[in-house]
Amino acid sequence: MSTHAAPAKTAKTIPFIERHYFLLRRLHSLSGVAPIGLFLFPHLTTNSSIVWGSTLNQGKFGDVVAQYGSDAAGVATFQHEVDFIHNLPALVFIEIFVLWLPIAFHAILGVYFARTGKSNIDRYAYQGNYRYWLQRMTGYVGVAFIFAHVSSLRWGWTYGGLLPTFDAAHAASSTAAHMQDGLLGTTIALLYLFSVLCLVFHFANGLWTAAITWGLTVSTGAQRRWGQVCAAIGAALAVAGTSAVIGFVTLDPEEARQVEDQLAGQVTQPSASH
Amino acid sequence: MIASPNSTSASPVRTITVTIKRQNGPAEQPRWESFQVETQDTANLISVLQSIAARPVTTEGSATTPVVYDSGCLEEVCGSCAMVINGRVRPACSALIGQIVGQDNTITIEPMGKFPVVRDLSVDRERMFAALRRVKAWVPIDGTYNLGAGPQETPDRQETRYVMSTCMSCGCCLEACPQYQQEADPKAWDTSFVGAAAINQARLFNMHATGATEKEARLEVLTGEGGVNDCGNAQNCVKVCPKEIPLTESIAAIGRDVTVHAVKKFFTGR
Repeated sequence: MSTHAAPAKTAKTIPFIERHYFLLRRLHSLSGVAPIGLFLFPHLTTNSSIVWGSTLNQGKFGDVVAQYGSDAAGVATFQHEVDFIHNLPALVFIEIFVLWLPIAFHAILGVYFARTGKSNIDRYAYQGNYRYWLQRMTGYVGVAFIFAHVSSLRWGWTYGGLLPTFDAAHAASSTAAHMQDGLLGTTIALLYLFSVLCLVFHFANGLWTAAITWGLTVSTGAQRRWGQVCAAIGAALAVAGTSAVIGFVTLDPEEARQVEDQLAGQVTQPSASH
Repeated sequence: MIASPNSTSASPVRTITVTIKRQNGPAEQPRWESFQVETQDTANLISVLQSIAARPVTTEGSATTPVVYDSGCLEEVCGSCAMVINGRVRPACSALIGQIVGQDNTITIEPMGKFPVVRDLSVDRERMFAALRRVKAWVPIDGTYNLGAGPQETPDRQETRYVMSTCMSCGCCLEACPQYQQEADPKAWDTSFVGAAAINQARLFNMHATGATEKEARLEVLTGEGGVNDCGNAQNCVKVCPKEIPLTESIAAIGRDVTVHAVKKFFTGR
């Protein structure tokens, strides 16, 4: 600090990162697993509810299914999930302290650490070396994507109409309408899918390396077996993420909006439906 | 054409082209030179370098100096002849021509890129020895009086430690590591990545009954900047290690130990 006199200079020459090196490294590792990584499960489960909701929740939303078909159950499930999240108490505090700050911390340190390495996949084309490189590349993609994703869909920045915003009252229909909005919609849908798959890989591979970092998997056999578990987790999340995009791209936005309005009407006038 | 020094073996004689990245001194510009050498599939790359030294004439026919390289044991235990052969690092003594020569009858050799070049294929691996000092890779036995016999080692532990003890400081693991960069300034060696070899040596001596007296000091170094946390888990080290040392297991084991060390230190203050 500038208030310190000359003798404090020695302490000043040691950078903050060097002094708290272990703590920062391990907090970076931990934050990637929890809360950030764990958040992927409810997030991608919610997103893919547009697909699984249309089969699993047909009975629960029988009224709209009878009128509009099975897709309506997916729309209703997704809207139900979104309503649940938006009704969480102190949502913005959860977002700031469980999501945004940990993600910012993980991203800033991640970029700093990634810049200490120099990839050599051209010479050493081993599978593990490719994953080392991909972990860093998907990290960079993730930083850019998450910022665009949160700033547009949550904070409402449209970047001059380039990125869509999220209409929480018409969760499925607004998402489907944006993804089907001509060439721009297709581009955004494809970029979104690519980024989600990058982040799913980043999490699955990071879960594998974290077990080595913390010393949970020591033997080669243990690392291989945990690698298979991580690959399975990654595959499951990739299926969830991909199915969500397919679900929204193939959804009829007009009909979905009618379903949402009809269900919202039921909620606001509960006596009318009985 | 350069004749092979011993062409009496059963393996047929063949002519290959060896392209070598050469450099006259640490600050000099590197250049490429090619040599045509008569050799055999069963010969090793060091014998090819000996043939070139016997008659240092390039493929174009111009006379040049013998290629400088380090070598010692010629049986893959001293580690001094590690170099980049066809783009990958390995000891030259155990690189047999039949196994490394390409379809086009050529072999390309470069000095290791992570250490300063002394001349041609000879590099200065002083930083590796600095890393061994940094992690106290030894058993403390010196005293002012006779300390007597040390604790007995169990056969089980000996067996685990044996393969780890075969490290010959060749530097292959560091050359292939994307997290290990060349660092010419020795002052930076205290905070730059120690690499797989030194981490493995720390584990080797931590597992030794007498060596374990320095365990916390070793872990303290490996907890800090340039320690085990700098590993990026590319796991190239274990792929290129000529002694097949389970380096990634050593890294994970030390990762576990520094976790425990840091938690202990947090609560006990030392």
